[in-house]
Amino acid sequence: MGYSRGAAPEPLTEVIGEVSEDLISLGDVRAEYIIFTPVKCNSFIKTVETEGVVFNVKPIIFSQVKKAEEVALFICTAGPEAGERSRRYMKEGDLLRGYVYDVIGSEVVENAADRMQEALRASVAARGMNITNRFSPGYCGWDVAEQHKLFSFFKDNYCGITLTASALMNPIKSVSGFIGIGREVIYAPYNCSMCDDKNCLYRGRKSTRSEGPDTSCTGFRSV
Amino acid sequence: MNQLLEKLSTCVEYGKVDLKSPYPPAMKDQEGAFELTRQALDAGISPGNILEEALIPAMSRVGQKFSRNEIFVPQMLMAAKAMSSSMIHITPYYLSGETKRRGTFIIGTVKGDLHDIGKNLVSMMIEGAGWEIIDLGVDVSTEKFIEAVGNHPGAVIGLSALLTTTMENMRRSVAELREKFPDLKILVGGAPVTAEFCHKIGADHYSPDPQGAVEYLKQLS
Repeated sequence: MGYSRGAAPEPLTEVIGEVSEDLISLGDVRAEYIIFTPVKCNSFIKTVETEGVVFNVKPIIFSQVKKAEEVALFICTAGPEAGERSRRYMKEGDLLRGYVYDVIGSEVVENAADRMQEALRASVAARGMNITNRFSPGYCGWDVAEQHKLFSFFKDNYCGITLTASALMNPIKSVSGFIGIGREVIYAPYNCSMCDDKNCLYRGRKSTRSEGPDTSCTGFRSV
Repeated sequence: MNQLLEKLSTCVEYGKVDLKSPYPPAMKDQEGAFELTRQALDAGISPGNILEEALIPAMSRVGQKFSRNEIFVPQMLMAAKAMSSSMIHITPYYLSGETKRRGTFIIGTVKGDLHDIGKNLVSMMIEGAGWEIIDLGVDVSTEKFIEAVGNHPGAVIGLSALLTTTMENMRRSVAELREKFPDLKILVGGAPVTAEFCHKIGADHYSPDPQGAVEYLKQLS
C-alpha cells in the first residue's frame, strides 16, 4: 500500500488484520501446476512451445526460460470472496475496508503462488532439476491475450477459474503463468529496470521466493 | 477563513468522519466533518461556501499530497469518507437547486474489464471537487456510455481500463462516443493507458493519478 514498516495510519493496521483473518478463514485458496515436456525454445522469434502450443513470450522472459527442458503451467486463486467483498464494501461506503480486501486478496494469491512454486522447486530438485522464476501473461512484455493459450491446457473451470474473452481471470484475484524447469535454468533475482511497464503491480517489490516461504501447504499436484 | 470552516477542512483532509470516529488518534473525541458541517449550516454559512472554502480545498490538498507520494490510497479513502459524511448535509441543497455542482462526470470501466478500484478513486476525488458523479460501474458497453452522455447533456466522461486487451474496447468506445458527440470531453486512465495512447485514440486527456483529472476538469468548469 506504499507505507514503510510501522508508518501505516492507525485504522489501517487493524483493518488489515481483520480482513486477513477473514480471507484466510474462507479456505478458498487453490493453487495447482501441471508439468509438460518436452519444451522447444526458438531463440530467433523468442517463443516457447510445448504440446504444439507456441507461447510468444518476448525477450525478457525468453532469456530466463530458454534452457528449460520442461515447463510447469500453473493457476492460483484466492477465490471469489476477496473481489466480491471488496466490491460490496466499496459500494456500501466502507471504502477503506473495500480497498484492503482488494490488496490483501492480491497478497493471498501471490502467497499461494509462492507456496506452489516452492512445492514445485522441491519436487523437481529431487530429480536434479532447477526452476526459473514464474512468469505470467500481461507482465514482462508477454501479451495478456496469450492467457487463452495457457488456459487451453486446463479443463473448464479448473480450480474454479474461468477466463473472459478479454483474458481476464474470474475470480479476479487469480494468477496464472509458467515456470521453466531444467538442469541449466536458474532462479534469478528479477531486475525491474529490464521492463518498461512503469505501472506494474510488482515493480520494485522484492521476490519472496528467495526468502524461503512456508512449504507446509499441501494441495499442489503435478499431473 | 472562518474558524469553523478551517476546522472542517482539517477534518476532511485527515479523515475525521464524526465524533465517534477514533481516527485520526490526535483528533479522538473531537467533533468530525459530520457535526461541523451541520454547525456551519446552522451558523448561516451557505452550502456553497462550505464546499468552496472547506471541503473542496481539503480534497484538493489530499489529491496533491497523493500525487507527491506523501500519502497513499488508504488516507485518500479516509478523507473521502469524511467528505461523504459532510455531503449528507450538503446533498439536499444540490437536490433543491440552491447549490450548483461544477458539472456532471460520467465514469465507467470499459467492456470486458472488471477492475474498479482505480475508477472509484477517481470518482471520489472528482466528487470531492464539486462534480456530480454518474458511475456506470464495470464492464460498460459503448451503448451504455452513449446512453449516459445522451441523458446528461454537457457532461464530461471518463473511461477506465486495466488490461491491454480491454484498451482496444476503450479505443472503440472513444471512437463511437466521438462520432456521436464531437464536442464531448473524454478522459481516459488505467494502468496500461498512456498519454500517447490517449492521443492516438482521440481522447482529450490522460492522467496517471486522480488529481490530474481534477486539475483538467477545473479548467473546464
